[in-house]
Amino acid sequence: MKAFWQQLIIQLRMDLRDKSILLVFYLVPLGFYAVVGSVFSAVNPEIKPVLAATMAIFSITMGAIIGLPPALVKLREAGSLRAYQASGIPSIAVLISLGASAFIHLSIVALIIFASAPSLFGAEMPQNISGYLVTLAALLLCSVAVGLLVGATAKNQPTAMMLSQAIFLPSLMLSGIMFPANLLPSLLQYLGSVLPATHSMRAFRGLAYGLVAEYSAPLALLTVIGIG
Amino acid sequence: MKRPILAVNNLRKKYGDVIAVDGVSLEIYPGEVFGILGPNGAGKTTTLECIESLRVPTAGTITVDGLHPIKDRALLRKTLGVQLQRSALPEVMLVKEALALISAWKGVPVPGQLIRRFGLEELKNKQYGQLSTGQKRRVELALALIGAPKLVVLDEPTAGVDVQGRAQLHEAIRGLKAEGITLILATHDMAEAESLCDRIAILIGGKLATLGTPEQLTAASKAQTRIIIRTRHGSLLGQGNIQKATYLRESEGFAYWLCKDTAPAVMELLGEAIRADDPVEDLRVERPSLEERFLEIVQGGESA
Repeated sequence: MKAFWQQLIIQLRMDLRDKSILLVFYLVPLGFYAVVGSVFSAVNPEIKPVLAATMAIFSITMGAIIGLPPALVKLREAGSLRAYQASGIPSIAVLISLGASAFIHLSIVALIIFASAPSLFGAEMPQNISGYLVTLAALLLCSVAVGLLVGATAKNQPTAMMLSQAIFLPSLMLSGIMFPANLLPSLLQYLGSVLPATHSMRAFRGLAYGLVAEYSAPLALLTVIGIG
Repeated sequence: MKRPILAVNNLRKKYGDVIAVDGVSLEIYPGEVFGILGPNGAGKTTTLECIESLRVPTAGTITVDGLHPIKDRALLRKTLGVQLQRSALPEVMLVKEALALISAWKGVPVPGQLIRRFGLEELKNKQYGQLSTGQKRRVELALALIGAPKLVVLDEPTAGVDVQGRAQLHEAIRGLKAEGITLILATHDMAEAESLCDRIAILIGGKLATLGTPEQLTAASKAQTRIIIRTRHGSLLGQGNIQKATYLRESEGFAYWLCKDTAPAVMELLGEAIRADDPVEDLRVERPSLEERFLEIVQGGESA
């Protein structure tokens, strides 16, 4: 267990040194949050109350789905996984430390957004903070699991990138985080219902903000955990 | 008779329809430096990866110090140190992090002695991606030695390393041998194998083509020994064949002969020089090299 903690600490530090990871875990999500918070919420006022939740979903989905798979594929392609394995480090420990490190970094970003959105952009504080944090944890868990699955199954970097985009772009457009999902044609709404981001948005609205959800918010939360 | 630290019996490994290793059997004894040579695709790395428990053999058995590589994988990691041919640590990992991580998983303290021995003190705070090829190889060798393994597998440890780095690694390998550590060395460098290895196996097409000491392998060569002589007055230049040697050529004052029986041929040539009252300034005898023997086997497709 001591060895695993050491591995996790080293992975956390390596992620902070890796420019491509920093970009997708911190810089792009926080930059996008700043743009959406200052500009987009003025254009679409409906987004303002739940800004923290929508930006948390965006950041976590981007970090986990765009950032994690290439990192895992790179470990495999460079022979690092084999080097670890040959040195007595189980592959499952590498996988878990990679996921746990992403979980921690993306939690930090989500908490920065959560703490700053009300003061910076006039977003509402959730009525139920526990509900917000539980939904956030479920979303993190689910997104990291999906990211690891994509990384583990993709044969190479181009495939990983293609699979990541196939999940990330619909998450952005169909989940209701950028504009209400009920404005979409029914086919796209149906497609959006397979995405964790869609159910997370519903869980945030129902459990954290006390807004009307299209169906039971606890069920949405369970769906997110189930997908994870 | 010593018990082998590694016994490979009739090892076979297939990838789909492709047979990568086909019935290889060999034994390696404690304290040996054992070389594995072969052209690309000969099955060297696959054989080593089966020993390292990175691949499951299709058939055959492997025993490493009494352990089964797959069933006893956890214990094997304490007995076996591995430097892989195609591997790299993450580019952003610090050398000290790599040392700490592998030490932690092997349950031993970070080895200060290895850090000093391989001159890693000044590299400790550098990222793996910032190291030169030679420095990377030194780090990888140190990592393979964490936990004091009995058997160390080095797969092309000097590939891509400059002359100075190569000499340092050779010195390190000799040091490990002097400590009684058993080493398996897979390499393309014939001179390296000849100078470092006690015994050498040559694999071709997944099969064991030959196995023996470097001397045994070169002695079996069909190539003849070269005798090269330079005398003060050049009396032997253009001499032609003698009884025990065939005249080959002359170049820059040196006369070259080929012979099968070295001592009588040298005696005969020295006699000729003495009779001509021509002092010998340089005399060299060159046995067929391991490289020549290797090429004979590869081109001839010989099999044990």
